[in-house]
Amino acid sequence: MSAARPQSTLDPATGSSASAIDELGLVLYVGAAVILAVVSLLALLGVLTGPRSVNARRWLIGGGLILPATILAALFVHALIVGNSLMAKTHASMLRIHVTGKQWWWEVRYESADGRPEAVLANELHIPLGRPVEILLGSSDVIHSFWVPALAGKVDMIPGRETRLIVRADRAGVYRGQCAEYCGAQHALMAFHVVAEPAARFDTWLTRQSQPAIQSTGPQIEPGRDLFFRGGCAACHTVRGTEAAGRSGPDLTHVGSRHAIAAGTLRNHVGTMAGWIAGPQDIKPASLMPNSAEYTGAELRTLSAWLMSLE
Amino acid sequence: MKLLSRQILFSETCGMALAALAVCACGRSGDMEPVVVGGDAGRGRAALIAYECGACHRIPGIPGARGNVGPPLDDFVERVNIAGRYANDPARLVDWIRHAPALKPQTAMPDLGVSEIEARDIAAYLYE
Amino acid sequence: MPMRHIHTPQFLLRHKFLFGALGACVLLLIGVISGIAILLSGVLSTAATTQHAAFTHWLLDTGLRYSLRANADDIEPPDLSDSALIHRGEACFRAHCVQCHGAAAMAREPHGLGMMPIPNDLAQASREWPAGWLYYVTSKGVRMTGMPAWEFRLSDTDLWSTVAFLKTLPQLTRADVLRIGSLPRSYCVSEAGAIAPRTGDDDLDERGETLLRQYGCHACHRIEGVVGPDARAGPPLADWPRRRYIAGTIPNTPENLARWIRDPAGISPGTLMPDLGVTESHAREMADYLFAQE
Repeated sequence: MSAARPQSTLDPATGSSASAIDELGLVLYVGAAVILAVVSLLALLGVLTGPRSVNARRWLIGGGLILPATILAALFVHALIVGNSLMAKTHASMLRIHVTGKQWWWEVRYESADGRPEAVLANELHIPLGRPVEILLGSSDVIHSFWVPALAGKVDMIPGRETRLIVRADRAGVYRGQCAEYCGAQHALMAFHVVAEPAARFDTWLTRQSQPAIQSTGPQIEPGRDLFFRGGCAACHTVRGTEAAGRSGPDLTHVGSRHAIAAGTLRNHVGTMAGWIAGPQDIKPASLMPNSAEYTGAELRTLSAWLMSLE
Repeated sequence: MKLLSRQILFSETCGMALAALAVCACGRSGDMEPVVVGGDAGRGRAALIAYECGACHRIPGIPGARGNVGPPLDDFVERVNIAGRYANDPARLVDWIRHAPALKPQTAMPDLGVSEIEARDIAAYLYE
Repeated sequence: MPMRHIHTPQFLLRHKFLFGALGACVLLLIGVISGIAILLSGVLSTAATTQHAAFTHWLLDTGLRYSLRANADDIEPPDLSDSALIHRGEACFRAHCVQCHGAAAMAREPHGLGMMPIPNDLAQASREWPAGWLYYVTSKGVRMTGMPAWEFRLSDTDLWSTVAFLKTLPQLTRADVLRIGSLPRSYCVSEAGAIAPRTGDDDLDERGETLLRQYGCHACHRIEGVVGPDARAGPPLADWPRRRYIAGTIPNTPENLARWIRDPAGISPGTLMPDLGVTESHAREMADYLFAQE
């Protein structure tokens, strides 16, 4: 269900602010092209035909003052209207998502509402179709910038402040976003996904995300839980429904259901999960997760399978 | 200086000709490249990227393949053995790619459900 | 300067140093090219059934003597008359030497007969060579012959006991030799910790590389810092600290690597890597060497 170009400003989602900006851009390009054509034509005429007398004042004031003023004023008004629509007012019933930029991943938190506890996850947001959603942005270390090109413009995430972004999509799809403010060694590998889906599916997803981990059983998977604790993973990661409550790394309660891991660096399956656990410093050097020398080959696969079962 | 420069030119040409001969003679002899029946190296490269084998292996020609969990996969055609236990031939490589844990229970390499065709393509790419 | 003056004798004499140097370079170049041509033509025989030219044989033999003079002259032997030492040496001789060297009244086995140069008569060597030379050759071997190095397989005591026995060889009668030959082939096994222990002034890099070669690792693996065949039977051992797993089964740490070297089949049953009889200290040294390679 991914868009053909999930991270392109040239293929924005319908109904999104990126789409509105794209339209505005189109108006500017087309308008500028027309003006360029007209002016070029006049210049050409001036060169090709012989000298003749013209009413200089009419051309200067009409073509140099009145015409540009009119065009620019019209454009200004249009841009103001578009800009104002992008800064939609928030209201209490709007879905609010908190995204905190960290080196080098995204902590995502959906506030609790209607008896549903808060949902904490990482590197992925889901939004319902057709509704504006307010995203509150912050940072716990350095300046990051939240940018989903197909949905909206960039908004900086500044430590100590909270910035806002209204996002809306009318076209379902998986959109990819990226950090847009240099934030250290792995700035280039700090991506995330925004999934726009119908409201019913979104509700199901959010309910599930706010629940503790649904743990599968089976001899191939169950021992993975013990391996998780033996390796000290709980010191940095939380898995709601177990004793793991670490806060330095992403919440792994439903990690098996995500599109990607390591902040959009790797696809999400047993193999990449195992490779990430054993050697994160090879994939994302200087990231805060250390290489693991804890598990035998078979244990690594078992642990990976357990994590993938946390859907 | 005409006589001397001609001498130098002659000996230099001889030298270069023999050096070229030496380089050619150093090439590998014999037909070592196993043919993977039904495997397409171009599709294999795409499959390696899609399965992200690079998360664990260094693979030449695959962007971002810099994992060190498994061994590097360069010059694979010259390896005598796969996974330290099986002869390196196309049939066994395909088997290994598809069912590593079944063949070697201690391995860290998972079973990713790679199809027969995909495995043949990957093998063809690795043998290139 | 007019061109015709260049070919005059006075010109050549005045610049004799320059022309002399140029001439030498040309001769050198011709020599190098001829050497390459001979090498590539394959005209040099590597067959062990074709004999050396007499000059070649003399050259190699003399080279060995001079090398021994330079390296083995100042080796001080212990007391070689000790009968326990000689008795032990008899077992080692029976286990390791007689197959290739034979003895008076006892023929060499087929692999000794097929070698070139032929493993010499040890009774003669023991008469002609000092004990230090015998020790040196036994311990270090002789490269490009069939004489292996025993330093990493026998302890120092066992090496000297072999030399002590060799020194008694000239006195043995036919009956003595045949008695030794009929002994069961008792295996001369040295205590593991006594074999080539590390000494204070060892260069660790050189030692690691020597151990890897003496256990034959480079026969299957290309190893950083070790010159050997283009071995592809096992994976390359380069950039070792970067690897996360050993044989895809256990995490790559120096302790685990030493464990693996000593018992690969115990960790990964079905592996083609053999049990090489590596001692614990040697395994640890080899692991340290590999981890020191960047």
